[in-house]
Amino acid sequence: MQLNPQTIKKLRRFREIKRGYYSFLFLAGLFVILTLGELLVNSRALMVSYEGELYFPTYTAFHPGTDFGLDYRYEVNYRDLQQSFRKEGSDNWVIMPPVPYNAFENHSPNGIFKPAAPSINDRHFLGTDTTSRDILARLFYGTRIALYFSLAFMICVYLIGITIGCAMGFFSGMFDLIFQRLIEIWSNIPFLYMVIIVFSVIPATYSISARIGILLTVMVLFSWTSMTYFMRTETYKEKTRDYTAAARIIGASNSRIIFKHILPNVLSTLITFVPFTIVSAITAITALDFLGFGLPPPTPSLGELLKQGTANLRTAPWIVTAAFGTLVVLLTLVTFIGEAVRESLDPKKFTVYR
Amino acid sequence: MKKLLVLWSLVLLLAGCDSDQPTETTVTLDNTATAEVNQHYADHPNLFTFASVSDLPEDLKWEDGMPLPDIGSPKATKGGTEYSRLADFPRTLRLVGPDSNGSFRPYILDDVVMQLAHRHPDNFEFYPGLATAWAVDRKNKTVFVRLDPNATWSDGVPVTADDFLFMFFFFRSSYIVAPWYNNWYGTQYTNITRYDSHTFSITVPEAKPDMAARVLELHPVPQHFYKELSNNFVDFYQWKFQPTTGAYVIKDKDIKKGRSIALTRLDSWWAKDKKFWRNRFNADRVQFNVIRDTPKVFEAFKRGDIDQFGLNLAEYWYEKLPDSDDDVRNGYIHKTTFYNQRPRPTYGLWINSARPLLDMRAIRVGINYAINWQLVIDSYFRGDNTRMKTSSDGYGDFSHPTLEARPFDINKAQEYFAQAGFANRGPDGILVNGEGYRLSFTLSTGYEAFKDVLTILKEEALKAGLEVRIEVLDSTAGWKKVQEKKHDIHFVAFAVGLEMYPRFWETYHSDNAYDSAFLDNGEINPERRLNTQTNNLEVIAIPELDSLINQYRRSESKQEMIALAHQMTQIHHDHASFSPGFVQDYYRLGYWRWVKYPDSFNHKHSSGAGQLYVHWIDRSGKEETQSKRESGQSLPAQIRVFDQFKL
Repeated sequence: MQLNPQTIKKLRRFREIKRGYYSFLFLAGLFVILTLGELLVNSRALMVSYEGELYFPTYTAFHPGTDFGLDYRYEVNYRDLQQSFRKEGSDNWVIMPPVPYNAFENHSPNGIFKPAAPSINDRHFLGTDTTSRDILARLFYGTRIALYFSLAFMICVYLIGITIGCAMGFFSGMFDLIFQRLIEIWSNIPFLYMVIIVFSVIPATYSISARIGILLTVMVLFSWTSMTYFMRTETYKEKTRDYTAAARIIGASNSRIIFKHILPNVLSTLITFVPFTIVSAITAITALDFLGFGLPPPTPSLGELLKQGTANLRTAPWIVTAAFGTLVVLLTLVTFIGEAVRESLDPKKFTVYR
Repeated sequence: MKKLLVLWSLVLLLAGCDSDQPTETTVTLDNTATAEVNQHYADHPNLFTFASVSDLPEDLKWEDGMPLPDIGSPKATKGGTEYSRLADFPRTLRLVGPDSNGSFRPYILDDVVMQLAHRHPDNFEFYPGLATAWAVDRKNKTVFVRLDPNATWSDGVPVTADDFLFMFFFFRSSYIVAPWYNNWYGTQYTNITRYDSHTFSITVPEAKPDMAARVLELHPVPQHFYKELSNNFVDFYQWKFQPTTGAYVIKDKDIKKGRSIALTRLDSWWAKDKKFWRNRFNADRVQFNVIRDTPKVFEAFKRGDIDQFGLNLAEYWYEKLPDSDDDVRNGYIHKTTFYNQRPRPTYGLWINSARPLLDMRAIRVGINYAINWQLVIDSYFRGDNTRMKTSSDGYGDFSHPTLEARPFDINKAQEYFAQAGFANRGPDGILVNGEGYRLSFTLSTGYEAFKDVLTILKEEALKAGLEVRIEVLDSTAGWKKVQEKKHDIHFVAFAVGLEMYPRFWETYHSDNAYDSAFLDNGEINPERRLNTQTNNLEVIAIPELDSLINQYRRSESKQEMIALAHQMTQIHHDHASFSPGFVQDYYRLGYWRWVKYPDSFNHKHSSGAGQLYVHWIDRSGKEETQSKRESGQSLPAQIRVFDQFKL
């Protein structure tokens, strides 16, 4: 792939800004880990060897207990299976993921569902929550949902925002005028209230993924407007530049001018906003969960953990520490990346970011 | 009874929202209202009868309940301020009409207002309130009452028989916008006869075993206060405090909307020296501040800003205020568990048997076996609660003696699901039938606080191949959902008052399930439609049960009613549309040392520590405790269990 020398220069500058660059690497790594999460944090075994046959249950259909010589037909409890194989001293064995719990099961070493402090022996590395679910597992999958969600949110918002903003700037005139007024009205509707209202009327019979989709749609519908302002002004600016006029004289079509000439030149402004949009999306979904209007229980989420944590500040400080810590790390990383991106795209190299 | 009434009234209020608004307009003048009332009496001579004392039957057996033991402790002292909290500011001070059925109602009505007589919280017999004596004439289905000549309203006006006549006019009128009251007072009483200003009788349509309660648990309505009755009633009386017969009033200056409200003890309360009343309602003032979040309330309690805190939840009893807590160990905060006896709220899963699949008995029985209440009780409630047996536990002889709820049993659950065609498991472990339909239902609730319980049940149900999708709604939306019968399975409880026998009509009669459930020949009406806004949440329509319910409602023999109740409970159990949850047979609380309770703590049938107002505030104790706490001197710790009424 041939990259524009300007772009290469920008990328090189991004790499030079160590804080942002390492944050980016870290987050990218985290992203890969989260995507392959089922191999790390799961109640299903990575590998089972039973009677000479190998099983890899992570991504397959469930195995009833009867598959491994147990007397029940529901999903095998692989942790117990591992114990019993060890006790029998047979050739059968089980390899469990490092965190052998899923985000939903209530697992308490002493049979009472209450917050348990972090313990390496029980493999609850961050402790358990109020109903004895593993915090690390919930945090892990909660973060994954939040990250995926915010990425999808960002893409949708930018698609809509760029399209409409660009069109407004390029076509100007009545089109611009009408859309500006519409956006002014639309952006005055308080977004959080709208989410709460919409969520109180949609039935929960919808599956969790459908609910996440609806939440995403609602949030996107009320968030794309701010993007259009930047796009509109930038397009206005670029439209009057000589190169655009030149392209027009040559006879380039509107779409060619927009996509080939204007868009690449305004993108650098937009890209600096990306990380901050992600930050706001993570914050919004966490806030909604905290208020109880986000994802339906028992979906793991940062907001729900934060809520539990604040309600058990004295008795189970590890809940709030884990959730708050994750949130802080996540948001800081994204902010660092954002800062670095902004700086590397800044044409004035030697200014100081204030 | 009242709490149940409250629920019904809520139901009917919702139901009555679209009913016709009263069309007549009334001039809002004193004499006009009186004229209208008198006209109403004249128009309904069967209901309102005016007689003289000489018309009183002579062979009446008057009772006065005086031999019953005192309530509360003679050690109680008056005075002090009790600090308490409200989760929400009351939406009205009216005792009737829209929004009057909120959580503040017990403080201005249920727990404080005097009825003619009250059930004794130990003996279940009646002790006198506004009445000094009463006589029950079962043959004529009439209860005769003599009012206490000293009884007055809090504004000094005497309580007379006229207030009871007016009560019927008031509760039957359309001004109050309370269809439940209209219905109850319009159908459950057939006559009130005034003999003189302090003597009257009330007749009921059926001489049920507890017919005395129907009359004696009435409370009058002050005619002199409701001078202005118009279609504007709801707004006009929204923030007006009705004079009370009880010890506590609300002064206008204490109403700080959205923030706080206070009850003030009437120094000149007419009943303050009466047996049964003299040792109660001790604090001079009860200050309620609005604090919404429970964790914040607990922090306020720990600071001493609030005097008492309910510790029913295991996490508060064991974790947040453990016996080893500094304030508990040093004796500043006392902890008490009190076992009581009364009908229990019906916490359980209400299965809508009109839904597809759920209309198959095998599925419902399977669900009953797939729900692991015992795990919730053992692990989440830490074994403090017990399993509910039937939906009508706690009514003594009226409760079924041997029936037990179905235990968690994966094999049996799978057996029943297989009977309904769900024999194989899909790739995710959920059972599927021949058409590939997954065995999956929505489990909704309006109780946010219980969402953890539901997630535990969900995880366990997976083992039996049943998927439950949890839907947590806010309380109003949750209630609306079941009232419209749009639920699959709903987790809710009906608050049950202290009644002699359980009710069946409201929850199990087909009239409350469908508009016309059956054809004349007894077959199922193919065009029947769901009846919404009723409490038949399971949509039960069984002709046999209907006839038993009707018989039960008509029955005047206690023995017959007991037999019927058992029979109906058995039918309900067999129908398997209710999964009985848990029963809490105690209440427990933490309170600062300056709050004092009687030596036996409380009474057998009390629903909560504060219900009977037998506690008092020890003002000198407060100063002592605070100074000792500041200087770090410890006092003897007090963690007590009162299990004298434990079964």
